[in-house]
Amino acid sequence: MMVLITGGSGSGKSAYAEELISRISGGRRKYYLATMQVFDGETRARIERHRRQRSGKGFLTIERPVAVSGVLREIRGGAVLLECMSNLAANEMFSADPPRSAGETAESILGDVAELAGELEVFVIVTNHVFDDGILYDASTMEYCKALGSINERLAEMADRVVEVVAGIPLVLKGEERICGS
Amino acid sequence: MKLVIGGFAQGKLGYVLNSCRPRECIVLDGSLSLSEEPGEKALVVNHLHSWIRECLLRGGHPEEEVLAFAERHPDCIWISDEIGNGIVPVDAFEREYRERTGRIQVMLAERAEEVVRVICGIGQKIK
Repeated sequence: MMVLITGGSGSGKSAYAEELISRISGGRRKYYLATMQVFDGETRARIERHRRQRSGKGFLTIERPVAVSGVLREIRGGAVLLECMSNLAANEMFSADPPRSAGETAESILGDVAELAGELEVFVIVTNHVFDDGILYDASTMEYCKALGSINERLAEMADRVVEVVAGIPLVLKGEERICGS
Repeated sequence: MKLVIGGFAQGKLGYVLNSCRPRECIVLDGSLSLSEEPGEKALVVNHLHSWIRECLLRGGHPEEEVLAFAERHPDCIWISDEIGNGIVPVDAFEREYRERTGRIQVMLAERAEEVVRVICGIGQKIK
C-alpha cells in the first residue's frame, strides 16, 4: 500500500502521516526516511521538533538526502515513512553542478520511488503543496516547482491513497473515502 | 467555535456573514480587542493571520492570546487566510509567521465544532 500525503507548511501533515503509518503498518518494522539536510540552527531545530514528535512511536530513523532507493541495502520490507519529498527534490536538483533540470530530477526520484514501492509493503510519502502563492520566482525556483509538481502528479497516480491535510484535517483526494461537500 | 479558512480574496467574510443571517455580527478586523460584549450578536474575528503577524512583530505569543480569547468567547467564528501553500520564504520571520499561522489553525480546528474551507465564495465543510 502506497499513500501520498500533501499539505502546506504548518498544516499538520507530518503528525497525520506518523499517526497513519502507525495505524496501517500492521506490526511491521517502521522506518522514518529523513531527507532533510542540516544547514543551520533552524534546520537542526526543525529536525529536533520532528524527532520529539516521533519519539516513543517506534520509528527507526534513516537519513538519506539523495538517492533514497539506497536504503534497500539496509532494509528489506517493512513500513517506510519518507519525509519530505520537497526536500528530496531540492537536494536531487541542486546538489548537482550545474543543477539538474526538472525532467532529470523527476526521473531520478520517480525511479527510486518505484524501486522502493516494489519492495515495501507499506510506503507513506509526505510532500509539500508549494504552488499556491502566485509569486513568479527566479528561473531555478520555477524549475524546482515544475519538478515537484510533476513528481507529485506521478506519485498520486502510483499511490493507492492520496490525502491532503488542511488545518490538521485529512481530506482524502484518492482512495476509498472521497471529500464530501458542505 | 467555528474556523473558516481559504486563500486570499476567496469570499470568506461574505460566506460567514451570509451563514450568520439574520443574526447581527460584530466583526473584529485583524484584532482581538472587543469594545462591547457580543451578547446576542455573532462574534467574528476576520484576518486572523494578519493579527498573528502583528503579534509576532511585537514579540507576543499568538498561541496563548488566541487560546485565551477562544476560552472567553467559545462561540467565536475565526477567519484566516491559508498562507502555507507556497515556496518556503527565504526570510526567517516570514517562515516563522507561516509556520505559526498554520499551527494555530490546526489548534483552532481541533477545538472547533465546524471547519469550513472557502474557495470561490463556496464553503466546503471539512469538519
